[in-house]
Amino acid sequence: MPSWNAAILSQADLPVDLTGSRLAMHNSSMKKPLEVVLSHQGYDGSAADVWSCGVILYVLIAGYLPFEETDLPTLYRKINAAEFACPPWFSPGVKSLINRILDPNPKTRIRIVEIKNDPWFRKNYLAVKHVEDETVNLDDVRAVFDDIEGKFVSEQSGGNEKGPLMMNAFEMITLSQGLNLSALFDRRQDYVKRQTRFVSRKPAKDIISSIEAVGISMGFKVHARNYKVRFEGISANKAGQFAVALEVYEVATALFMVDVRKAAGDTFEYHKFYKNFCSKLEHIIWRPAEGAANSSLLRRNLTC
Amino acid sequence: MESSKNNLQSSSSLTIGERLCAVVIPFIFLIEALIFTVSGCFDCRRPPRKHRFRFPDIAQVAKDTPFSVNEVEALHELFKKLSSSIIDDGFIHKEELQLALFRTPSGENLFLDRIFDLFDEKRNGVIEFDEFVHALSVFHPNTPLEEKINFAFRLYDLRQTGYIEREEVKQMVIAILLESEMHLSDELIEVIIDKTFADADADMDGKLSKEDWKAFAIRYPNLLKNMTLPYLKDITTVFPSFVFNTEVED
Repeated sequence: MPSWNAAILSQADLPVDLTGSRLAMHNSSMKKPLEVVLSHQGYDGSAADVWSCGVILYVLIAGYLPFEETDLPTLYRKINAAEFACPPWFSPGVKSLINRILDPNPKTRIRIVEIKNDPWFRKNYLAVKHVEDETVNLDDVRAVFDDIEGKFVSEQSGGNEKGPLMMNAFEMITLSQGLNLSALFDRRQDYVKRQTRFVSRKPAKDIISSIEAVGISMGFKVHARNYKVRFEGISANKAGQFAVALEVYEVATALFMVDVRKAAGDTFEYHKFYKNFCSKLEHIIWRPAEGAANSSLLRRNLTC
Repeated sequence: MESSKNNLQSSSSLTIGERLCAVVIPFIFLIEALIFTVSGCFDCRRPPRKHRFRFPDIAQVAKDTPFSVNEVEALHELFKKLSSSIIDDGFIHKEELQLALFRTPSGENLFLDRIFDLFDEKRNGVIEFDEFVHALSVFHPNTPLEEKINFAFRLYDLRQTGYIEREEVKQMVIAILLESEMHLSDELIEVIIDKTFADADADMDGKLSKEDWKAFAIRYPNLLKNMTLPYLKDITTVFPSFVFNTEVED
């Protein structure tokens, strides 16, 4: 879904400032199901995508979201009532355009064609040449939405067939939430509270193949490259994407750490996924061979 | 107030002391009330502020930092939000920083302690606004790498000896394992640290000097990834409400 927004915006020649997949996630979690499948040639625009563009336009000018609530029912109510306010620096032209875009009724909502004729839109507008049968390359867009936090270790030139990336003690230390000050700026409420990573002493190739097998058995689309794996699927309530990024690192000889992060979707669902995921990977997760007392303590505190 | 408290504590069994206190305390109250009202008068001369704490001299704070005045105003919005989350007194307490980073005010974390200590330059147990901006300026994308390397070194030099000792590294590794709920035997932890020290400890003296650390961080630039906050470049879009309160046209 988010990639179609970017494509629509770029066709409409609006600046695309995708500050964070948080915007994409906001849109995908709120979007009503697509009424029309986008055709390959040019975009008639499904009404839902038009609405999402309206949100993006609002954010570009206001600097914050038009609808932001901590609980979903209130959020949906406000969306359905178009209960939002434009800050005073919005010009009357853009205000009226946004009002027509954020119309909760897809039938009366403005269409792309009408947007193109809107006077505010037409000011200083340079039309993009439409190329027939243009195959849209979404790699760039996908790269933007890929987890930009994913790179914790310096990419060394031998990373390809040689094995997983090495992670030294300090690189492990920088994983701490206490050292990650970007959380000060994150206004999202769905912060993942628990760290999700585990250790394994099995050979790296076995770890990867086990992870891929579990991903497939859990119904995800599995993409793997070197020692990075991505699970993609639909969220349980069918309302949006759910994606997980996993990476294997070598912390010492024959000692590997698997870092698991939520890439898209609901936090609560992510924690449920993780519990399930770990239970299927018991055979590769390493636990210290301490006495029975210790291991029962571990089991009580850990889900993985 | 403190002296009277001390009096109370040290002379709780002496009636003479108690009588002294009984006489002295009301006077202290009176004097305090007087000072309060007088200073209140001075406050009135400034433009009325909604906030409880003093309006900081934004331009002064912005000087010598990579932030513009508008950016410091935006940081002030962030500071207000963080400093009022648990105790609304215009300062960031450790629990408030913990709440912001971990989404829960309770729990212990070695790295949080280190960050807090480095931010609290005046060592008075709270982070004030100027300390906040000063420390955050190290994390600005435009700040030279050298400053980030130095800050990280101070962060990891737990006992501030001028060296990152092996025991300190071990302490930190144990802390991150605890935080990640990963369990490793002591043996394995030693193996990890051995490997790191073999790589980083150029003069092989069992500890990392500033030069060791500098060379190591330059070889592994992702070690300093958390020392840069790209959000600081767009801070004015994240907290735009300062637009209404701005004192300075940038």
